[in-house]
Amino acid sequence: MGLEEKISSTLLKEHLLKLAQSGKRKDGRKFDEMRPIEVKEGTFTKGLGEAWVSLGKTQVLTSLKFDVGEPYPDTPDKGVLISNVELLPLASPSFEPGPPDENAIEIARVVDRAFRGSEAIDLSKLVIEEGKLVYILFLDLYVLDYDGNLFDALTLSSLITFARAEIPVVEVGDDGSPKLVKEKSFPLPLVDYPLSFSFVKIGEYLMLDPNLEEESVADAALTLAIDKDLNICSVQKRNGTFKLSEIIKAVDIARARYPQIMEQVKKVVNIA
Amino acid sequence: MNSIFTEQKPEVLIQKDGTRIDGRKPDEMRPISIEVGVLRKANGSAYIEWGGNRVLAAVYGPREVHPRHLALPDRALIRCRYNMAPFSTEERKRPGPDRRSVELSKVIREALIPAVFVERFPNTTIDIFVEILRSDAGTRIAGITAASLALADAGIPLKGLVAGCTVGKVEDWLVLDVGHEEDMWGDADIPLAMIMETREITLLQSDGTLTPDEFKEALDLAIKGCTYVYELQKEALRRPYVTVEKEVKGEE
Amino acid sequence: MKKSASSRAEIFVKDRELVLPGQALAKGPLKPEKGVYIDKNGVMRSYMVGLAEISDEKVGVIPLKGSYVPKAGDLVIARIERISQRIIFADINSYCKAIMIVPRSEPRRGGRRYSLLAKYEALAPGDVVLAKIMSYDGVSNPLLSIKGEGLGKIAGGSLIMIEPSKVPRALGKRQSMLQVLKQKARCDIIIAQNGIVWINSDDPRVIGAIEKALRKIERESHLSGLTERIGQMLDDLLGRKSR
Repeated sequence: MGLEEKISSTLLKEHLLKLAQSGKRKDGRKFDEMRPIEVKEGTFTKGLGEAWVSLGKTQVLTSLKFDVGEPYPDTPDKGVLISNVELLPLASPSFEPGPPDENAIEIARVVDRAFRGSEAIDLSKLVIEEGKLVYILFLDLYVLDYDGNLFDALTLSSLITFARAEIPVVEVGDDGSPKLVKEKSFPLPLVDYPLSFSFVKIGEYLMLDPNLEEESVADAALTLAIDKDLNICSVQKRNGTFKLSEIIKAVDIARARYPQIMEQVKKVVNIA
Repeated sequence: MNSIFTEQKPEVLIQKDGTRIDGRKPDEMRPISIEVGVLRKANGSAYIEWGGNRVLAAVYGPREVHPRHLALPDRALIRCRYNMAPFSTEERKRPGPDRRSVELSKVIREALIPAVFVERFPNTTIDIFVEILRSDAGTRIAGITAASLALADAGIPLKGLVAGCTVGKVEDWLVLDVGHEEDMWGDADIPLAMIMETREITLLQSDGTLTPDEFKEALDLAIKGCTYVYELQKEALRRPYVTVEKEVKGEE
Repeated sequence: MKKSASSRAEIFVKDRELVLPGQALAKGPLKPEKGVYIDKNGVMRSYMVGLAEISDEKVGVIPLKGSYVPKAGDLVIARIERISQRIIFADINSYCKAIMIVPRSEPRRGGRRYSLLAKYEALAPGDVVLAKIMSYDGVSNPLLSIKGEGLGKIAGGSLIMIEPSKVPRALGKRQSMLQVLKQKARCDIIIAQNGIVWINSDDPRVIGAIEKALRKIERESHLSGLTERIGQMLDDLLGRKSR
């Protein structure tokens, strides 16, 4: 079962459909409009970079930690990035404590794919000794308050986290063991800036950035990630079906929205 | 491979005049700020910044118990989950419960249950979640302090608020509100929490050696700290109503 | 006698003062009402965040927070979850599910009993109904009924959730606040005891304005003069003046 809570009712679906037929959404947004984005100020974790982001009433917190270790055998010249999503039970009555379920795992992999697909992080710059010692980055994505659309909120939060991250310099000491070089760090090698755009279909109507109510009555869901050149760097269709024309329309909307969302990101981080 | 995260013991933990490693006096507390109602989906929530701690507490309930057989016929079940985020510590902590968080979940639950009128909601559960986003010594106390406010925010009937504080022993000094280095290398650590209005102690732990006199003195000091924390709790609960009142008066 | 009784009482807070859980309210020969407990020293304390209600004889607290506690006689808006044989399980926005029992009656031609059965049989999971709580003993599930004029499946319109503790304020004394909302919205509005509001409109401007008004009621329920401010706000938002 997807993340839709059991708050859906036939009354709600009828109501949202009726509104959609006159071109409206319950919260007054246009079909291709995202909810307000807020990035909280302050330090909330011990990460190398972090971001507490609100997308409407959805709140997420992401933070980057690191360790050093062996690279994957098939990529001896690249650092490692591991993403993990926690759907905290405090974020929603429908989240239960325990290891990540299929929803948490899907979100983690889709968010990760946005950055991998666009090769946003130059993992080759995260090597200390090729084949032996590389940086292992842990991106932990915490969901604090769930009101729909975790894909977009977490991808945005991750982008800001990566843009803020400073990686401590690690060298191999004379005794062969890794040592932290005090006070020396370098910015995470971020070369692309993917953003995620998720859509749902209610009846025939395609809507960007669904809130929880819209997700709960949706017939279909789709997530796209767009990179800085306005290319598509990852796609995930979830439940339901889409016509080809609908997918193309979603791509057009996402590419059109990218610059506006990017403007908001640039207000909080230094991105060229 | 983990030598990069090993911490070094500081040369001087406390000076002869009692000045502590972070510059505080022995009876001085770290800065604390509290906000109630930070989450929308939870029935009640509170966020606390205590020194370098960042702690989020949330309450769901009373609500139905699943699986049903756990329900108690004459009172609400209280469940508590204390969890440290992977990014809360210097070295990343693997997600999931470990033995320490299992113990702390129990201890926090037992610190809060006496304050709750559980008989009013038989066959239900009240679920308390304490998430440590950033850890800086005293997380269980910060968690209890926030969770108590989250319970009040959820409108759950309470005997009173539960406030907590820690006291430590560093060399010959008893210090209030133990800091990170004092926690790692000090001689004793005593967390205490109580229902302030009724003076009932609901959490007390201690590790390290103390003489009976030191122990008594430590408890007195801890209670002083709790009293200070309690004032901050009350202010945090009142603040949204006071703010709204000011806004409305301003409009008129 | 009453006068001397109240003069022996000690009162620690003012009427309508904001009080917190555990806060001492009074001590002495006063009648404790809702929201109050008595500690082992005889001090009456609040168990909630709320507004103190102090009179010569009574001490109580009006809660400003808290989930819906079902009460017999309450009008509620419920969502049907599942139907099993003759038992319907419904979500009433509380810590327990409510139950409706489908009456086992033979349909009589043209009789009232026939249309009541039809009302029940028309229900399906996901439907929203206006119902009444017939009984609740505090332990087993509350019993609901849709027997009665106006009760039954709700069609059309939109639902807005408000904090159950704010329902009395949203209704107002003798429904004065509800009347203001209905007048300004120019449509029917039902505020159920369990914190669910139904507004019979498909106009997003009207729904948006009523929702804003309800949020304002939630925020300012502890302050006086609210009814006038709500009326003013709705006039501004729904601007009935011609351009």
